[in-house]
Amino acid sequence: MRQIAIYGKGGIGKSTISANVAAALAEKGLITWYVGCDPKSDGSMTLLRGQRAQAFLEMMKGTGQGKPYEVAVGYGGVRCVEVGGPLAGVGCAGRGIIVAVQALSKDHFSKENIDVIIYDVPGDVVCGGFAAPLRERYADEVYIVTSGEYLSLYAANNIAKGLRNLNVKLGGIICNSREVEGERNVVAEFASQIGTRMIAFIPRDPVVRECENQGMTVIECAPASAQASAYRSLAEAMMRNKDFALPRPMEPEDIRALLRGSMA
Amino acid sequence: MTEVLHPRPNPIVAAMYTLRDLEAEVVVMHGPAGCGFMASRRLEEAGVRVVTTGMREGDLIFGAEEKLVRVLAQVEQEFHPRLVGIVGTCASMIIGENLDSAIKKAGLKAKVLAVDTHGCAGPNTSGAIRTLEVAAQQGVISQEEYLRQKEMLTRATLIEADRGLTSRRYLEPHPGATKLSVALEIVRALRQGKRVSVTLNAKKETAFGFADVMRAVEYARSRVGGETLHLGNLSTEIGLPRIRRYAREIQRDLKEADVELALITGGLDEYPVAGERAARFLERERADLRIFAGLPHAVPGITPEDILVTDQPRELRNYIDRGFAKSVGEINTHAMVMSAHGILKNELGETIRQIVDGGMA
Ligand code: SF4
Repeated sequence: MRQIAIYGKGGIGKSTISANVAAALAEKGLITWYVGCDPKSDGSMTLLRGQRAQAFLEMMKGTGQGKPYEVAVGYGGVRCVEVGGPLAGVGCAGRGIIVAVQALSKDHFSKENIDVIIYDVPGDVVCGGFAAPLRERYADEVYIVTSGEYLSLYAANNIAKGLRNLNVKLGGIICNSREVEGERNVVAEFASQIGTRMIAFIPRDPVVRECENQGMTVIECAPASAQASAYRSLAEAMMRNKDFALPRPMEPEDIRALLRGSMA
Repeated sequence: MTEVLHPRPNPIVAAMYTLRDLEAEVVVMHGPAGCGFMASRRLEEAGVRVVTTGMREGDLIFGAEEKLVRVLAQVEQEFHPRLVGIVGTCASMIIGENLDSAIKKAGLKAKVLAVDTHGCAGPNTSGAIRTLEVAAQQGVISQEEYLRQKEMLTRATLIEADRGLTSRRYLEPHPGATKLSVALEIVRALRQGKRVSVTLNAKKETAFGFADVMRAVEYARSRVGGETLHLGNLSTEIGLPRIRRYAREIQRDLKEADVELALITGGLDEYPVAGERAARFLERERADLRIFAGLPHAVPGITPEDILVTDQPRELRNYIDRGFAKSVGEINTHAMVMSAHGILKNELGETIRQIVDGGMA
């Protein structure tokens, strides 16, 4: 079983990529799980035709534990789990992820026949909770989503630091294009500087929004589009990937220098 | 489920006690310095070294893995233990401390059992179960032993919720009936030639405190007559080595006091099932006056005519409110038994002896 975590700066498009990759893998016949770790619980919506999956932590609430969790089944049979979590400003989302990932692993992941689990993790590896999927027995491969903009590269670099601390290997960088100048080169260069490679370049395309508005992934909604094939080749590249390395994070200064170089 | 308001033991402390039962020489509490303090003191009396990482505000924010690694290294240097337990606390578990990674980094020679439990994890027994689960994973106990103990602990939780400490919303501590009234009744019954049964159904080390009732009743019989019937969960074949040792020491002292056990109902960690066995035995055996010591509520079929002996003031309230007027408390039991290597005299026992010797009743 492959257990893959996808990290990246908030708003960079992790959920779109995770959902489309999950859909592409399911299309190929793999038994795929999508685990959304955002308290807002909206990552799996496009796999579920705009429906919201019941949040795992909501289900646990009150009972403490125990009740079997109804796993929603989405496009191509992708099993969708949303961890859920507290309202903004209440409780501790990180703790929620820890508890949910442990319980899911015990009740489902260790019992069911699964080919791939994709963890769509919010934001950054900011605390023990957000690192929970990376704990030894859970996710063991990580991809970081970034664009060629300074802040997303900065966040990607921070995540690389987290991985280094946790001794978790990085499988590559996914560039989700914002159409900034020289983006492909900048991200490829960044990847090589931190000791990995750019595994995919996902172009920016209005079809993504259109499909999302219909409550679908691009794979389902526009299967013949170029965008769909970009996601499919990313999924394939992930499955073929044997190239994993502990990242060597850069100094923020050097990221800026890299960006300046690309302008010149 | 009843929403219980009164304080009760928590999983952190249960994990510490279970580590002691597994003969861990050192228990490291990964949390605030005061967490589990009273229990730590007791455990130190039992020869376990309890240390804390003493987490502070900053550790909550930034994590305290390094602290834990340092403390583990120090533990090895100072104490050269073979078996070390690490117990998580609310503090360390909420922030997601990775106990296993700290163990790896500390590179100890000792075997380390990392128990990732905390105060909000559920009934106290959940901490004990988690500890045993880790011990089984690490090969310290067998899988069968783990499953047996888990079953006992799960039943214990059910009994507590059904008729014990967690069956009521609030229990106000109660001192219980006077020992004199109860002791007089026991001695009188024997003097009249009646048959008095003593059932020990105690939890682990507390048996050191309760078994004295058997000795005292037997002593009274030898002086004033009557008949006795003794039974208890004192098997020397069940449980972890430490627990079997308790049973051996108690049996040795009972023998010396001429107490003959008519039935051994189970091991000292089996009070939930031992109570049922005792009840079945007592259905067949006639007794005019019955005494139950330890956790009497775990014996089905006790009646308001019976004499109940226990150690917790809240348990006493629970019994008295349920109509068991002859409930007496050996409140100091738990404090005294921690380093015991033999039966300790208790107040009810001493009262019985005094009555017999002083010629009262
Ligand atoms: S709140 Fe939890 S961690 Fe803090 S002292 Fe109490 S039991 Fe220990």
